[in-house]
Amino acid sequence: MSSTTIAPERVEVQAPQEQWQGQNVPRKEDKRLVQGEGVFVDDVKRHGMGYVFFVRSPYAHAHITSIDVSRAEAIKGVYGTLTGEEVAALTDPFFQLSTPPGAHLKDYALAVGKVRYVGEAVVAVVAETRDLARDASELVEVEYEALPAVADGRTALDAETPVLHEDSGSNLMWEGVYEWGDLDAAFAEADRVVKIKELHFHRFNSTPLETDGALAEYNRGTGQWTIHTNNQFPGFAAIMMGPALRCGLDKLRFVTQDIGGGFGNKITSHPQLVACCLLARKLRRPIQWTEWRTDFHLSMSHGNERWFQDTEVAVKDDGTLLGFRTKALDDAGAWLRYEPLGGVIWAQVTPGMYRWRHIRLDFAQVATNKAPVSPNRGYSRMQHLWFTERVIDIVAHELGLDPVEVRKRNYIRADEMPYETPNGCIYDSGDYARMLDVALELVGWERLEERRREAESRGRLLGAGIGSTLDSGTNNFGQSRLINPELQFSGNNEVATVKLDLFGEIVVTLGTTPQGQGHETTASQVVADILGCSIDDVHVRAGHDSYWNSHAGFSGTYASQFAVTGLSAVKGATELLAAEIKKLGSVILGGVPEEALELAEGTVRIKDNPEAALPFMACGAIINANNAGLPEDLGVTLNCRYVYRPPFEVPDVERRYGNLTLTYAAQVHAAVVEIDPETGYYEIVDYAAVDDCGKRIHPQIVEGQVMGATAQALGAAVHESYEYDEDGNLLTPNFYDYHVPHALDMPPIRTGYIESASPFTPLGTKGMGEGGGAGIHAVCAAVQDALRGHGDAIVYDSHNPYRRVWELLQHPERSRELVEVGAA
Amino acid sequence: MLLREVEYARPASLAEALATLGEHDGARALAGGQTLINVMKARAASPDVLVDLNGLDELKGIELGPDGTLSIGPMATYTDLVESAEAKARPILGEVCNQIADVQVRNRGTIGGNACSNDPTNHLPPLLVAIGARMTIAGAGGAERTVSAEEFFLGVYLTAVGPGELLTRITIPPGKSDGFAAVTLGVDGTCIVNAAASLNGSLRVALGCVDATPVLVQPPSDGEDAVRSAVRGAGLLPPGDVHASSEYRSHLAEVLAVRAARQASERAGG
Amino acid sequence: MAADVASSRAIAVTINGNVYEREVEARKLLIHFIRDDLDLTGSHIGCDTGNCGACSVIVDGTLVKSCMMLAVQADGASIETVEGLAEGDELTALQQAFSDHHALQCGYCTPGMLMSATALLRENPSPSEPEIRKALQGNICRCTGYWNIFEAVKAAAGQGAG
Repeated sequence: MSSTTIAPERVEVQAPQEQWQGQNVPRKEDKRLVQGEGVFVDDVKRHGMGYVFFVRSPYAHAHITSIDVSRAEAIKGVYGTLTGEEVAALTDPFFQLSTPPGAHLKDYALAVGKVRYVGEAVVAVVAETRDLARDASELVEVEYEALPAVADGRTALDAETPVLHEDSGSNLMWEGVYEWGDLDAAFAEADRVVKIKELHFHRFNSTPLETDGALAEYNRGTGQWTIHTNNQFPGFAAIMMGPALRCGLDKLRFVTQDIGGGFGNKITSHPQLVACCLLARKLRRPIQWTEWRTDFHLSMSHGNERWFQDTEVAVKDDGTLLGFRTKALDDAGAWLRYEPLGGVIWAQVTPGMYRWRHIRLDFAQVATNKAPVSPNRGYSRMQHLWFTERVIDIVAHELGLDPVEVRKRNYIRADEMPYETPNGCIYDSGDYARMLDVALELVGWERLEERRREAESRGRLLGAGIGSTLDSGTNNFGQSRLINPELQFSGNNEVATVKLDLFGEIVVTLGTTPQGQGHETTASQVVADILGCSIDDVHVRAGHDSYWNSHAGFSGTYASQFAVTGLSAVKGATELLAAEIKKLGSVILGGVPEEALELAEGTVRIKDNPEAALPFMACGAIINANNAGLPEDLGVTLNCRYVYRPPFEVPDVERRYGNLTLTYAAQVHAAVVEIDPETGYYEIVDYAAVDDCGKRIHPQIVEGQVMGATAQALGAAVHESYEYDEDGNLLTPNFYDYHVPHALDMPPIRTGYIESASPFTPLGTKGMGEGGGAGIHAVCAAVQDALRGHGDAIVYDSHNPYRRVWELLQHPERSRELVEVGAA
Repeated sequence: MLLREVEYARPASLAEALATLGEHDGARALAGGQTLINVMKARAASPDVLVDLNGLDELKGIELGPDGTLSIGPMATYTDLVESAEAKARPILGEVCNQIADVQVRNRGTIGGNACSNDPTNHLPPLLVAIGARMTIAGAGGAERTVSAEEFFLGVYLTAVGPGELLTRITIPPGKSDGFAAVTLGVDGTCIVNAAASLNGSLRVALGCVDATPVLVQPPSDGEDAVRSAVRGAGLLPPGDVHASSEYRSHLAEVLAVRAARQASERAGG
Repeated sequence: MAADVASSRAIAVTINGNVYEREVEARKLLIHFIRDDLDLTGSHIGCDTGNCGACSVIVDGTLVKSCMMLAVQADGASIETVEGLAEGDELTALQQAFSDHHALQCGYCTPGMLMSATALLRENPSPSEPEIRKALQGNICRCTGYWNIFEAVKAAAGQGAG
């Protein structure tokens, strides 16, 4: 078996059930998707549409000295072009979230005057066919004056390093000091100080199989744009695009149906969307944009690359961790498209899963001549959690302690929940030690020494490692004020509408933009349970359309929150509807008190006399078409909208203190690897993933998220990396060189779970789906374990391709120099 | 995705194919297309004319001679070689073909296309060199010449097949004592270094991905030390890239040469 | 004598039983022909280097990536795409198994994955797990980690379906 789930078993359900929630009901999305009848953005066509092709910079850093589009525009079938100069005249720079110096960046839809990374869009060409647009793009003449590139974030602040953005004066984009507890006391109390010179979290992302795209139409009569796009956070795109395009947000209509994966990487397509909007208006025709795979790799939403430098950890001899200080240096790439939010998002999980109370982190984010970073599954927390896990395993390794024991000694305990972290975040519930036990059992931890010897007899080095992570979900956007106190964001919200239509159809509209998470299915489970009907009676509209008016400022699908915000909105709206149905039933059934009524079997009926029932169809018909004689003050529309707002406060900006996320799902993973010491080649031979996301609405969907996130993490751990040369050329611009896991690469996996219901959410659920970073941590730990006794190298990078493992074996001293253990 | 404009011909015979290639300067043969079409998508190459060889039965077929010699049409696909009963006369061929890319690519990609593209990361060039394949090339008017695989591979994407010519046959001598070893990205991704060995008579080891063409070494024996020292003696200066430093490639070449030679030796009963 | 050379050709292909006759540019990839010219948008594009397999279709009984051949090369061929799998509303056992086993999330790779699995089950009605993995090695999925896909193919194979 390639995969094993420990209890309880899957249940194939047939309606009706006591509870739809908690059942693995068939996904509503599947029928269209398995027949190729999904509608993805590139499937949408319009009469007379023009295809856009972006001319991209071959230079990492250069002045644009001239652009000539005349030869391109002269070709028959070419509709027109757009240059940076036009963009600068027609739009305002995108709003910057940062305080100075990052606040001074002037970011536009196309490069203006200068290019800052290979692949940056310089000119857009539109033509009758895709092929012709590309042909014409080859005739656009752009002259550049090359500048030296900044390809290593660690040199970005050096005096001799060229500056990307003259407006900001240096390559520093944002910096801030975070300190909680009493570091001096912690280090005074410590028996040992473990110093780690440098750890590096590499640059990669999730490469959704569908790349970005759009079809933008402009209505000259109303001044409105309709943008069919797979952007996964239209609310954010709108607040970026409206001011840039100098229009109100209602002039921007976002429409999606199916999205081919997002993982955070489809949040920051707003520059390209603005270019499409400008072209639609300029050329008076719909504009179709499909990003090709190489374009995506070159330019879209890389994950944050981060160094942790000069780390010091205060430890007791028994392995009790007291605190740490470190300097985090974050490479944002060429533009701040969602940054510098990564500079605070990590703080949702400041202590990781551990009880240390004294923490200082000096954060600095710099600009380099690489693709801009943007959210990627596990955004900014994954980097930090990788760091805390590395610290645990390096400390254990150096002090000769058992990593399992160190974790158990330091994990926040179940009886401490809800737990307030040193920076005021509230971990809602969980039992990390129990999860670890489950993981160890699944992976066969007790037989490790025996297996190690057996592997060694075959010339292989076997090692095992643990990765424990948190998946903090449902953001308090007030955290943005820790970056920039002037920002007017706080809290969070999501919307749903539920209505009972003329023929009794229950129609649900969500504010979200799912990319495979099965929202149509889980929303219908929540609705059916409240209305006492079958999930088959619930029609959840596929996709997102901002004209449905069912979105709020933070609507979208990102940051592990649907099971909390989305479903709580659905629950709220459905409860409103249920109350209205009862109110109507009370009138129609002759003034029976509402408390005496129940909703069941698609009717509202008298509890003590189920024969006296009004079918939903009758309810819908009465309100919508047969309403003469109803009381004037009835106040029933059977069309209910609910906005769910999580209970957040505005954080304390001075102390950088407050609850930044509502729920904390947890993952504990364990990996066993076997290394071929002659080549550095290694395989993951056993793997266990244990998840706790509170109450599970659809266990199969939850497990699917766990598996998918795991696969992405394993890919990132071993193969996936956006590597640049010193001139700023991306060396992994396609799936040949950026190797994502294939079917044959997958190790056997065992999954397990526990359920710690969240006390803070209406359904006991927690956001989930991003915990897979655990796989990176577990593989790093396992590789380090395998090398124990074979040079004792320290794993210092999150990315360990075969060549690096070979180097660790050849030159363990190079990694060992990074670590020093001293008396306190 | 979005190739440059190109003209297309579908000749009905080998003669017609040669004539078409001869007639157009910028013409290129289109075999399985599993490399060429990709290169054209990137617009890294843009032939003026594609001469599609897919209809030519003359270039297909796998025949086994009475002495065990295999005669393979260059348009035989990897899948043909994996499944062919005749090709099993030289088992390593099907084994290595089965490691190339994936099902879809193996269904369309051809041995001739692989050889003629001579991408240094391909598996077949070192294998063909190690097992002593001979390559028959036809030119204008059908005149044929035959060269050894060592002489066939001339540089990155460059072979002895000149303008207007076609590879028409690959001849492989009998033998079963062969070996192959590779380190790839993941189980089936891009090749980092590969090595093919043949111990039918003397030992021949060919290394791939370490130079523009496969590097042939002929260790005096199949012992590990002899193989290692032969590889060292070849003075490899492999290119470094994102997947491997030059030093790491040199090291892998040695390790994989030993492994391929060991497999060949084991099959020889040694 | 040299063959005729042309930058476009009239071709006729049969897709899922329907005959399509069109003039196509020689440079047009089969996947663009299927998606853009014929509006059969079930087959997808996930890369530009022939790695991802989202465009996999069956041409004259052989599984291929339709981004790795030209439309003109399909002249006269009979092609099967994902749209041709189900009989009306009746899903194939494989399609049903994909849903039952949650073998798809976003569904973008699914059409290609289904074509590869269909081709496998035709040739090998009871594949082992290693055989399933090998058969799907050319199809990238970024959502599922593949494990549920293996389970789905096994389940469909158990039903003797293809």
